[in-house]
Amino acid sequence: MNEPTTTLQSPAREVPVFSISRVWTLAISTLTQLVRMKTFYFLFAFAVLLLAVGNFNFASSPAQALSTVKKVSFGAMDLFAWLFAIVATALLIPRDIEDRTLYTILSKPVRRIEYLLGKLCGVLIVIGISLSVMFVVCAGMIQWKELGYIADEIGDTTPEQLTEDTRQAILLIQKNGFHPELAIAALASFMKAAVVASVTILLSTFASSSLFTIIVSVLVFLVGHAHTMATNFWLAETDNSIVTQTLLKLFKIIIPNFQIFSFSEGIVQGAAVAPSAIWQMGGLTGAYLVVFMLLSLLTFVDKEF
Amino acid sequence: MSEPAVEVKNLTKIFSPDLSKNHIVAVDNLSFEVAAGEVYGLIGPNGSGKSTTMKVVLGLMAASKGSAKVFGYDSGDIRARNETGFLPENPYFYKHLSGEETLKFYGKLCGLKGSELKDRIAELLKLVDLEGAAKRRLGGYSKGMLQRIGLAQTLIQNPRLVILDEPTAGVDPVGSRQIRDLILKLKEDGFTVFLCSHLLEQVQEVCDRVGIIFKGRMRREGTLDELIQIESQTAMTLENASPELMGKIHDLISSDAAAKMIEEGHPRTTLERLFIQIADQNKKEESA
Repeated sequence: MNEPTTTLQSPAREVPVFSISRVWTLAISTLTQLVRMKTFYFLFAFAVLLLAVGNFNFASSPAQALSTVKKVSFGAMDLFAWLFAIVATALLIPRDIEDRTLYTILSKPVRRIEYLLGKLCGVLIVIGISLSVMFVVCAGMIQWKELGYIADEIGDTTPEQLTEDTRQAILLIQKNGFHPELAIAALASFMKAAVVASVTILLSTFASSSLFTIIVSVLVFLVGHAHTMATNFWLAETDNSIVTQTLLKLFKIIIPNFQIFSFSEGIVQGAAVAPSAIWQMGGLTGAYLVVFMLLSLLTFVDKEF
Repeated sequence: MSEPAVEVKNLTKIFSPDLSKNHIVAVDNLSFEVAAGEVYGLIGPNGSGKSTTMKVVLGLMAASKGSAKVFGYDSGDIRARNETGFLPENPYFYKHLSGEETLKFYGKLCGLKGSELKDRIAELLKLVDLEGAAKRRLGGYSKGMLQRIGLAQTLIQNPRLVILDEPTAGVDPVGSRQIRDLILKLKEDGFTVFLCSHLLEQVQEVCDRVGIIFKGRMRREGTLDELIQIESQTAMTLENASPELMGKIHDLISSDAAAKMIEEGHPRTTLERLFIQIADQNKKEESA
């Protein structure tokens, strides 16, 4: 065997067991990838939709018009968040595997959990930025419409000359207008998207195609809205066979409960929100993320490429 | 002798594609070592188990039996990958990133940052002659350029071991020569190079030792001289030999009963060398 005559390269410096910096690098790379895929063009579509809804004269009263603008815009935000979470997550990891970019990433000192977390964080950063922009646009639109309607009600009259009917009408407009609590509805959409993205990551670690991952993720998302129905069946144990009961129990364990986010619909319609509901939502979102990421790691850690 | 850069012991890799009893033995009880500082070539036909062996060494696959170590670390250990740079057969990088961004991405994954990373990127772009294309996205790179930026990312953290899978696959002879020269420079700089290829001429030019693998088994292994010399034959290359001298040589040969002239003629260049010669000549004419 030839003994080298040149000076050999020195050993590499120590690498940390887990590195937030590596996760962040992968997250920013995912963000760049999604941005360069022109993902944010969706925001223009959202702005156009909002302008169309805001200027279309379909409601019988200003309060109804404001309520409709809120419902449509927050509905669009919610739809964007969960749908984007599923599609982007389902495409990113299989694409890295197909393009074999994963080879070069995992042959560097990168742990597989860091890779999965990086991808999840990248998708969530895009969703977070998009929801923030949409929320600001939406808040501006609602406030602009609200102020316009109030000005129409007041007309040329001074505050002292306002009738009781006008005062009530203004109060109704304000009730259906912008409230800071609407930010909690946007936060709920974000958290819902985070849970659905973690489910999609789990599926994409073993699924054979992106289409399968997308379809199953959408199904899990839709079925996850039937937890109350499943609980009712569960409680009425005498009405069901052991098989049905077992299936329902499995359903409740495996499928995340997306109904915990549904209180945001009430916020959009002007209902008050209990702090406990927000804490419950945050806690369960964190728990779901931990569980689904650990399950993803279990299937991904020994995956061969 | 220092610790081996790569130590593969009784490595066996079995695939069970359809969960049935139809097992495919991709690598069969393979053992070899790559010494620190040497250029080792693993050659064999397609499907011989070269890439599978490489993937096990890289920790992308687990061994069914046996072990693979990099500088004493198990190949699945993150410290083994910290000592390793890998260039895959075809360049697999994010096409939306520029050459510079690609190196920055891989550098950050290896823990480099700040001016150290910036300087290393500049140094590597110069080494692979891509300074002019640093800001261009990889989607617009030619295959040779992709291979060179790939080689640069392989070296980003100054790994002690560089693994190259078919480093010149699909690259034209000029690009191929550049990569070959880079491999020779890596050897000069004290890197260990482990390469897989089925381009024998290339392996012959750069490798200190070679392993020949067929159907997952090591068939021959040794230094290049050991492997390619024909012990029973001797070659002489003469310049300006007169017909009289040639006649004397023929007479001497025929006077020995055991000796026999096998071949006589003018030595030939290789097609690759001829192509490069013409390309160089063309380049000189254009610049004149």
